[in-house]
Amino acid sequence: MTEDFSPFLPLSPAALHILLSLAGEDRHGYGIMQEIARQSEGQYKLGPGTLYDNLQKLETQGLVEESPRPPAHDDPRRRYYRLTSFGRRVLSAEVSRLEAVVREAKVHLRTPRRAT
Amino acid sequence: MRTLYRCLLWLHPPAFRREFAGEMLWIYDESGESGPLLLDGLVSLARQWVLRSGWWKTAAAVALAMVQVGSLAFSHHRFVRVPADPAPIDVAEVLNRGPLAHQPLTMGILLYLAVFVVGGLVLLTIGLTYWMKNLAPRRMR
Repeated sequence: MTEDFSPFLPLSPAALHILLSLAGEDRHGYGIMQEIARQSEGQYKLGPGTLYDNLQKLETQGLVEESPRPPAHDDPRRRYYRLTSFGRRVLSAEVSRLEAVVREAKVHLRTPRRAT
Repeated sequence: MRTLYRCLLWLHPPAFRREFAGEMLWIYDESGESGPLLLDGLVSLARQWVLRSGWWKTAAAVALAMVQVGSLAFSHHRFVRVPADPAPIDVAEVLNRGPLAHQPLTMGILLYLAVFVVGGLVLLTIGLTYWMKNLAPRRMR
């Protein structure tokens, strides 16, 4: 039986970047912001307001959850987030959708435009 | 600047503030970029109150009520003719019967009142039906 991810797709750019940044490892808020800036080579920067607004939404949807804090860290304000298995499946579905879009775009861009 | 950012965070809705204000302040301390973060804080403040907290429903209800009252006042001013030389108001009578007692309540006023009340109720019902059908299930999800 295949899952229906249509209520979650397409993901907003911010949600997509947040999920992608958490796909590799658990991160705290500032770590997510830095990873997003790194992945997009500085082209997409997320402020804390947008980040936590999206994190709250993703937590409510069950795509992201808070992970236990590593014992080495002593700053109580620092909280870590991780991707849930459901969130990982939604992210995979979104990546497949984007791949289909890119494939379609390549086909159309390769075909020479007919004169009208 | 840090105090200003703390104030911005403090102005956020309580649920959001309890959950994330500490981390947001920590990010402010870590990043050291005050200008963009202040702007982000302002945008976040507006977004949390207007879009996320449901206060827009109260604001819409107040706006609708003001439109109704305004329209009623306009129609009253436009259609109820006041005589050029109105009879002097008997203060004793006004005190006895209330300030609007000297203005006769015509059928026209009653009709407009009924139209605006019914119109408001219809709009409210349409709005609530739309919210129940579309927005509420999405929020539940």
